[in-house]
Amino acid sequence: MDLATFAGSLGLDAITPALAGSDNVNSSELLGGNEVKRTPTEANGNSSGPRIGVFICHCGSNIAGTVDTSKVREAAEKLPGVVAAKENKYTCSDLGQDEIIAAIKENKVERVVVAACSPRMHEPTFRSCIQEAGLNPYLLQMVNLREQCSWVHSREKDKATEKAIDLVRMGVAKAAKLVPLEAREVPVEQSSLVIGGGVAGIQAALDLAQMGFKVYLVESEPSIGGRMAQLDKTFPTGDCAICILAPKMVELARHPNITLLSYSEVEEVTGFIGSYEVKVRRKARYVVEKKCVGCGVCADSCPVKVDNEFDMGFGKRKAIYVPFPQAVPLKYTIDKDNCIHFKTGKCKACVKACANEAIDHEMEDEIVELKVGTIICATGFDTYVPMKRGVYKYWEYQNVITGLELERLLNASGPTGGHLIRPSDEKTPKRVAFIQCVGSRNKKIGVNYCSRVCCMYSMKNAQIIKEHEPDTEIAVYYNDIRAFGKGFEELYHRVREEYGIEFIRGRPAKLSEDPETNSITIRAEETLLNKITERQFDLIVLATGLQPSEGGKRIGKILSLSLSPDGFFMEAHPKLRPVDTAIDGIYLAGCAQGPKDIPDSVAQAKAAAASAASIMAGKNVKIEPLTALIDESLCVGCGLCEEMCPYGAPEVFESDKGTKAKIVEALCHGCGTCAAACPQKAITANQFTDEQIASEIVSALGGIGVTAEKAKKAAKKAEEA
Amino acid sequence: MTQYAYFFGCIIPNRYPGIEYAVRWVCGSEGFDLDVADIKEFSCCPVPGIFYSSDKNTWLLLAARNLTLAQNERREILTVCNGCLTSLLKATEYLTDPKSLGKVNRVLSQIGRKYTGIPRKTEGRRRIMEPVKVRHFVDVMINDVGLESIAERTKKPLKNIRAAVHYGCHYLRPTENQTIDDPNDPVNIDKIIETCGATSVEYEDKLDCCGAGGGVRSHVVELANSLTEDKCRNIAEVGADCIVTGCPFCLLQFDNAQKSFTKEGIPAMHVSQFQALAMGIDPISLGFDTHHVSAHSFLRKLRGT
Amino acid sequence: MREAEKTFISGLREKLVEDKIIDESQLDPDFAKEIVKYGGKDVMTCLQCGNCTGVCPISLKIDYKTRSIIKFCQFGLKKFTLETRWVCATCYRCYEHCPADINPAEVMIALRHIAIREGVIPPFIKMAATNLVKYGQSVKPDPEIERVRKELELGDVPSRDQEYAKVVREINLLVRSTGYDRLIGIESEVKS
Repeated sequence: MDLATFAGSLGLDAITPALAGSDNVNSSELLGGNEVKRTPTEANGNSSGPRIGVFICHCGSNIAGTVDTSKVREAAEKLPGVVAAKENKYTCSDLGQDEIIAAIKENKVERVVVAACSPRMHEPTFRSCIQEAGLNPYLLQMVNLREQCSWVHSREKDKATEKAIDLVRMGVAKAAKLVPLEAREVPVEQSSLVIGGGVAGIQAALDLAQMGFKVYLVESEPSIGGRMAQLDKTFPTGDCAICILAPKMVELARHPNITLLSYSEVEEVTGFIGSYEVKVRRKARYVVEKKCVGCGVCADSCPVKVDNEFDMGFGKRKAIYVPFPQAVPLKYTIDKDNCIHFKTGKCKACVKACANEAIDHEMEDEIVELKVGTIICATGFDTYVPMKRGVYKYWEYQNVITGLELERLLNASGPTGGHLIRPSDEKTPKRVAFIQCVGSRNKKIGVNYCSRVCCMYSMKNAQIIKEHEPDTEIAVYYNDIRAFGKGFEELYHRVREEYGIEFIRGRPAKLSEDPETNSITIRAEETLLNKITERQFDLIVLATGLQPSEGGKRIGKILSLSLSPDGFFMEAHPKLRPVDTAIDGIYLAGCAQGPKDIPDSVAQAKAAAASAASIMAGKNVKIEPLTALIDESLCVGCGLCEEMCPYGAPEVFESDKGTKAKIVEALCHGCGTCAAACPQKAITANQFTDEQIASEIVSALGGIGVTAEKAKKAAKKAEEA
Repeated sequence: MTQYAYFFGCIIPNRYPGIEYAVRWVCGSEGFDLDVADIKEFSCCPVPGIFYSSDKNTWLLLAARNLTLAQNERREILTVCNGCLTSLLKATEYLTDPKSLGKVNRVLSQIGRKYTGIPRKTEGRRRIMEPVKVRHFVDVMINDVGLESIAERTKKPLKNIRAAVHYGCHYLRPTENQTIDDPNDPVNIDKIIETCGATSVEYEDKLDCCGAGGGVRSHVVELANSLTEDKCRNIAEVGADCIVTGCPFCLLQFDNAQKSFTKEGIPAMHVSQFQALAMGIDPISLGFDTHHVSAHSFLRKLRGT
Repeated sequence: MREAEKTFISGLREKLVEDKIIDESQLDPDFAKEIVKYGGKDVMTCLQCGNCTGVCPISLKIDYKTRSIIKFCQFGLKKFTLETRWVCATCYRCYEHCPADINPAEVMIALRHIAIREGVIPPFIKMAATNLVKYGQSVKPDPEIERVRKELELGDVPSRDQEYAKVVREINLLVRSTGYDRLIGIESEVKS
């Protein structure tokens, strides 16, 4: 198909004669032949299409510093349909907006082209601006002269101006084809799902419940509390972690607006903002929650002892257990893999012991279905697991432990009652070394980010060790100390000045164990000393970094959340929408979004709760009309769209006309994947219709020096793609 | 059956003919009967510590010349030396870049040669080429011959021998080229030793450098020797009877350096020599008299006297 | 004056003569780029953690710090890297452990390239290259070893073979084509 036929098939008859006419078509021919020298007012009289206004933004010197905006304006004035072309220092300012409104009123502008920045920033601004002037808000076309032109071509001003003119011409061509669209409103369920019962999830749930919304909190472990519950004290203030967390846990369990679904997994999420349908699997506890009073007699009677995961394998628990004394809910759980009854069918010691008849070995998993308006994803983190044959010998030497293991060894309710011992001989270590940046800032293992908490938790733990055993020698091997938070630098000073902790700048190169004493010698270059040193320690603590949690990865797939390069969930905008996701109605809180400390997690949880509440408070939510539309007469129901869509918006159904597909508008993000894939061309993406895009392409190809031959080829390629 | 071409390099023919004999014997009709040809025109690989360190263009040309020889015979290069392995492997990698390849081939055309790689398959009219394969002796023994065959052919298990394995850096690193073994936990030579009936002893800093590489031996011999001294001390501590290595240059370093700090010394040998012993070769053919550290004590222990 | 004091004071005197301040005139701002040109990775990404020094077998023996060399390269302090260019054993342990994924060993090799081009050519390079253009191998044949070879019926070493003369001619041509002979000053050894 040649370009003329191609353009014709898309209803672009107006320009086809020029294309078909000669092999060397220049831009003026493409853009309406001899009428090039028209002034805007003349064009106004001659044009049959909609009346277009072009507003070019200087963005201070961001655009005008590179692009010659007056040239762009002059070029815009000559474009067909353009009745007004204006320049502004800041089009987004009140002045700039007033000018748009004035032009709409005075020049009877029907379509608005704003040549400024990315639509991501100011499209909503200008939509409401033109709406104020009485236009449909979707009759706006943004042309990105900043991110896609001036910023990236700052060294080639002439070419940047040329490109800006091309971009504006394309924008005008598309604007002429824009049609009004109406946003639809859907009702919002007044309830929220919080996934993850760590400190972030707890805080978000409490805040939402306090505001009067119904909250379902799903936690996969038998108790809420998350990683924070495992910690001994918190930096920089030294508050006991569980002492400040437990009241919140208890409050959450008691709150009338909160339903706590512990020992449960989110299985499936469907629907869209305002009405998400969620399936939650309540894993069988083998203990009836309503009957269990948490007395613990069952655990006393249980003959099985296994490593307690909560104590990082240092302490023991029974096969029927609560992970830690302050657990919420304080309901016992049977660990099926280790329970003798499940293995041999013989033991039922716990059943005999329980006075309330709460234990039920026949219990089965249960599926609960919830309907919620918003979702907060607070799936937290896992700590980095050191390499099997790595330099730090975590798997070979008993006296090399991780930071989280140390937390349990220092914790008063931990396996040693808060008394620090080293694993090999259970003696109190006299010399302790911390090794920083294990599993952080290491390109070799593909972890390029800083975990943000390791410097501070090592200092905090060093301080605690000193408080327990003042004559312990402590050294911290670090690369850079990051003490950026409130009170962090003060803690850094305190541990050096008051506690005499030594900071050694260098990454240990070799650890070797004395086979007799099990003490470990660290060889490292002390880079500030410019010498290689070997020093012996009784206990080595690896400051392991934070990684996206395994459970979180599963949830991410269920919710179709996108990931940042570091593997954590990606926020909608790193600065301005840090708790939103790309999916409306789903928010992020805590370490699921990236490594952070407790205050940051709590702050983000509160922000996520507020964002969710702002949607639910409105009762109804507007849904962007930039969605896909299916022409049922063309649809053959092949289901390709259903397969291709990343958001699950298309749905194949049986109608009286046979198998057809439809788009669930609230799920559709208007990405256009289905429209491009549809073999029947039955799908149109609103505001990105074939006609609109083709008009842009054709006007782009009309640039100076483009031959019809080239234009034909490019059009053919575009069609094939 | 895979076809190989011997690549002995410079040190083995000119310093340790015993290794050449051992390799030929192990691969030959009395051993595993592999299809290995001699390509007489092979030159120096060239030495990474000299040519790769001083002019990469010259290094690549000389290496490419060697590769074309194997390519024309459609054979895999069977190296017995870590230096040759790393030099030739790196060269095949450099030559996957079309720009380098073009430059190299322009010069090679003056001597009537061209490096293309070996055709793997044809897709339509296009032939898909793959680089000439460069294999280490240990790699071939483990992956092509297999430990089972080695065990079968072990006629005289070296039961009472305690061997200290030294892999040599370029067998393990740089990690992006070498994938024969786990660079942090190599096992292949240990496996061969154990299959030959001997004990492979663990010792401190097993993966450390012998000290000779990168021109250090030639430049500051004392520095190289002091590294070897550390290594030998660790080996002596665990009471090893011999050092077994996959690299003749490491062997040369162990062999020559030991006299600078000790009288007796621990005999060093190539893995092929060790293997040949277990397969029942007469030790006289292994050229131990060309080694500087006497293998007497070792051979006595071997005979059990 | 006691002996210790003497050493102390004379040591100080020596140090007094040196200029302790490094000013910009000593810096070569394009040094890092030059290293990349000769195949080294970008030294600017180095975090100066010192892991490379710790794992370097040479650093344990002499006053040589891999990390310092990289720092000098970052700064462009060329003269500080001069002495230690030829002591790297290219064992690549530094590369294996580097969290910034630099390859210090390759940086060292790039430094050698630069040194050679500045005329700092260690004798062993010339020797090995001379052997190569003479015998086609970088190790000279040894009569004693040749005798053993005969005993073992291994045949002549390649360089004794009459047909090998062709190989040596090819190598001479290749060495001349890159100007390597002139680069390291062995033109007289290369046959045209």
